[in-house]
Amino acid sequence: MKRDPLQTTLVVGWALLAVSLPLGLTLESLHAMKVPVYLGSELRRELWTLAHAHANLLALLCLAFAAVGERSVPDAQRRGAIARWLWFGAIAMPLGFFLGGVLNSEGDPSLFVLLVPAGGVALLVALVRAALSAR
Amino acid sequence: MQSASRFPRPLAIVGCMLLAPLAVALSLWRGHDPVEHAAALPLIHREDGFAGSQACAGCHVDQHASWSRTFHSTMTQRASPHSVVGAFDGRVVAYEGQEARPFERDGKFFMDLPGKQGRRTAEVVLTVGSRRYQQYFERESRGEDFAFLRLPILWHIEAKRWLHLNTVFLGPDDANWDAHAAEWNENCIFCHTTAPQPRMTNYALPSRREQERFDSEVADLGIACEACHGPGAAHAQAQRDPLRRYAGSFSSAPADDIVNPKRLDQQRSVAVCGQCHGQRLPQPISRVADWLTRGPSFRAGEDLLAHVLPIRRETPVFGPSDPETFSLRFWEDGTPRLTAYEYQGLTQSACYERGELSCNSCHTMHGGDVHGQIEPANRGNAACLQCHEEIARDVPAHTKHRADSSGSACMDCHMPRMVYGVIELHRSHRIENPDPAMAAEKGRPSACTLCHLDKSPLWAARETSRLWDLPLREPTSRADGASLELADSLASILCGDAVQRAAYAAAMGRGEAALAPRDKAFVRVLLAVTLGDAYPSVRWLAQRSLQALERELPLGLAEQLAGIDHTLGAEQRRRDVIACLESLVRLAPGRLAAPAPGLLVTPDFRAELQALITLMNHQERRAIAIGE
Repeated sequence: MKRDPLQTTLVVGWALLAVSLPLGLTLESLHAMKVPVYLGSELRRELWTLAHAHANLLALLCLAFAAVGERSVPDAQRRGAIARWLWFGAIAMPLGFFLGGVLNSEGDPSLFVLLVPAGGVALLVALVRAALSAR
Repeated sequence: MQSASRFPRPLAIVGCMLLAPLAVALSLWRGHDPVEHAAALPLIHREDGFAGSQACAGCHVDQHASWSRTFHSTMTQRASPHSVVGAFDGRVVAYEGQEARPFERDGKFFMDLPGKQGRRTAEVVLTVGSRRYQQYFERESRGEDFAFLRLPILWHIEAKRWLHLNTVFLGPDDANWDAHAAEWNENCIFCHTTAPQPRMTNYALPSRREQERFDSEVADLGIACEACHGPGAAHAQAQRDPLRRYAGSFSSAPADDIVNPKRLDQQRSVAVCGQCHGQRLPQPISRVADWLTRGPSFRAGEDLLAHVLPIRRETPVFGPSDPETFSLRFWEDGTPRLTAYEYQGLTQSACYERGELSCNSCHTMHGGDVHGQIEPANRGNAACLQCHEEIARDVPAHTKHRADSSGSACMDCHMPRMVYGVIELHRSHRIENPDPAMAAEKGRPSACTLCHLDKSPLWAARETSRLWDLPLREPTSRADGASLELADSLASILCGDAVQRAAYAAAMGRGEAALAPRDKAFVRVLLAVTLGDAYPSVRWLAQRSLQALERELPLGLAEQLAGIDHTLGAEQRRRDVIACLESLVRLAPGRLAAPAPGLLVTPDFRAELQALITLMNHQERRAIAIGE
């Protein structure tokens, strides 16, 4: 049976928060324990901090769309398409930042960082389509 | 919810929440570890409690960043496109009839050089220096061991040109291209790295007489955190405990596992800098074997004198070297006259002996301009006036000079520029009151006549007595035998020894000299004559001073001066001197004032050559081994 896209958006939002909040706690613990393999790499620290921040904010965006999507985009088909762009962007961006800091070299993020611009484009598409469809 | 029937919701939530910690743990386990990476590099050890600067960077981000900007951090580097600043462009560098050709290939740096068995190509693997000049080293395999050998040309960073090593020290020209050959492993390593271990492998073996072998390692190639803060591995490990850290932050007691030089007592604080900025010998000398194998034993926070004997004028020379090697590095009154003796100078100062002065009173490793590393709040007179409050209330009343003149700059009188190093003149770190009579008798520059270039030591002694109401003590003779009636700068640049000539050649180009630009005709003539000095480093300083005077008051000599190459042979030098003197005769009238009598320059700007040559015949030409 086909799931309501807004219901899925709600699940994505809560799931992202469920992943991201422990990530924040983990990063704080690494600071507390002064773990050199984390603190010693300025690039990794920056990428993982960005992953944490983006995941939280995009989770809130998903929850907001789940709450107001039906009212602001009355067309169910369009709403579904926007939701799918939103899910992809909200997952790809923080995932790209996080994986960019995994198996990275000293100076550059790993190639997984390419998920970040892909996610960014998806979010932009979602935003534009939502704006055009808004009542 | 239908999804809940397929996958239990509590399990899904727990799974989500475990995802991030597990992913972090996995990626850190397999990820790039910069601390381990730095430790695994060739030449690097992690012994004796040293952890390397990378281990400090994680917590002390700002301090690591501010240190990284300093020239200390890049003192020794692996050769790479990032570190090499010289022009390895394939152009020929000539000196004394031989040629070198530095070139780059595939991101590596080479020098094509003259050798004993014909030309050879040396690959540059190590660089030393990053502020004034950069020296280059090749790796020579010696059995299972190696040595880094200094290559004969260096890159002068400000002048953007190559110079042969024979032209930057205090000696005459020398056609022997290997006259200053040196091994990094038993020289530079001691002060241009952190926690050096030269590890001479055949120290006690007969094979040493043939060739010394090394397996050298250091904690950091630059002069890094642990040079000043002591070994940091135990501190880094202990501080991973957050309870200990926060407990420490509530205590005013200094940490017992790391050194903060600012919290040390005066003697131990200056020792931190003095371990390198104070040339020294192992104490006792029998510990030289330890130095050449395990490295120096001093660690920041300890009593330096328990480990080393700072070299002073009277320190005996051990071994077959010239017995005057050390004494020549000091003025006759014991004041250091070469760089890397700042510790000796400072500890001879009343401000240290009777006051609280330490290096940190003026300098900082983590702030301000990296040139000189002076604390921004201590620029100019502020450094001195923080203690000398009574002088601060009315500076001219103390200096007897106008407030806006260099005579009212504390350091120009109490720390004059009379210390030679890296073909520049630096401030003396022996803080003292000017004594022109002593200076003349001991053959050292006087703070007075380094500014009052047209005045004699007798004038300086009388003025000192008059202005500061001191008992008059006139000098009885000059150390170089010249007349006491002559201008000190004139006599010193012509018949002084190498450091005297260098000091006055540099002083003559400074804008703060107590002469109007148009009154410096005799200075220009003397500098033109000095372009023919026997020592290339003195010629270099004379040329730069002439160029500075030309910028101060242009006569139209700029192009001619820029075209002079001070490293060329004697015949070319003679032509340069004559051409420069002739240009001055032609261009000075109407622009410069006629020189006063007694300055050995005629009113029509001609050098009184016979008198000048007579003085130059008394010149002290002994080379000075500066150990750079």
